[in-house]
Amino acid sequence: MCQKLVQLMQGKIWVVQNPRGFPQRMALDLRFQLHPSLGIVISEPGDFSEQLHHNSLFNGLHVLLADDDDVNRAVTQKLLQKLGCTVTSVSSGFECLSAFSPSGPPHKVVLLDLHLPDLDGFEVAIRIRRLRSRSSWPSIIAMTSNASEDVWERIKQTGINGVVQKPILLQGIINELRRVLLLQANKTVL
Amino acid sequence: MDVVQLLRQYIDCKTTLFREGILDDQFTQLQKLADDSSPSFVVEVVSLFFDDSEKLLKNLTQALEQPVVDFKQVADHAHQFKGSSSSIGAQRVKNVCIAFRTYCIEENLDGCLKCLQQVKHEYALVKNKLENLLRLEQQIVAAGGSIPPVE
Repeated sequence: MCQKLVQLMQGKIWVVQNPRGFPQRMALDLRFQLHPSLGIVISEPGDFSEQLHHNSLFNGLHVLLADDDDVNRAVTQKLLQKLGCTVTSVSSGFECLSAFSPSGPPHKVVLLDLHLPDLDGFEVAIRIRRLRSRSSWPSIIAMTSNASEDVWERIKQTGINGVVQKPILLQGIINELRRVLLLQANKTVL
Repeated sequence: MDVVQLLRQYIDCKTTLFREGILDDQFTQLQKLADDSSPSFVVEVVSLFFDDSEKLLKNLTQALEQPVVDFKQVADHAHQFKGSSSSIGAQRVKNVCIAFRTYCIEENLDGCLKCLQQVKHEYALVKNKLENLLRLEQQIVAAGGSIPPVE
């Protein structure tokens, strides 16, 4: 039976014998094609205004944007607003943390510049995680112009959920927001 | 000047900016973000860029005039300038900033000073051309014309 299933999957199954010739264990060789995760719609680069209209996933989404550069902040905020997000913008790590007051808006996503003037982005991420219970953790997407190996490592260690490269492009931010929100939704279900 | 002449100047100015690599696609994205609820979005962002750039250039100049140059400081300023110029699509300014940072890492004062001159030059160029472009836009609209849609 196993053999039939494996053959349907175009794999191999065989018995590994020990030195005395007795069957010791089974070995399985199955090849899987890498497929984008189900539930993530990879959209074609398409028209700018098309992209803006097909993204109702973001309507009313509360995003906290932390970037100390005035130009970057203005551009990113506008991009997010065009997608339908409700944006709170701050320009420092401490302002970012203060934005998590109980009476404030329920930020579901934090877009965090790793290069903030007071606290570095990683430190902010760690502290955000401490502020809330796991069930109400916002997703954190780091923004950086430098996506080197060390940066990646630290990103993984500090509980940051995603990364976008700067300068921010519309398609880039759409893709990463979608991916991170779907992950967040799946965690809630579990 | 009539609308047709203004439009022609506008198109020429814009074409030159892109052909000479002074502006890149980031600027196009910026223009697409302007809409009825925020018609002066581009002007606002460009003004922010000019303000920030003047400060950064001042900081860079001062940092490089110190008897003992703090190259890390200079690199930080260059990095910031790279960030804002790339967000707005000021491609040539951005490229000089990239070279600038490399010279900082190497602690090459000569290289840094050359880059400072270059970045001042490129910034002056993009500032001049952008001011021209935006002024033409205003004149076209004031004369009853409309700006050709961004591709």
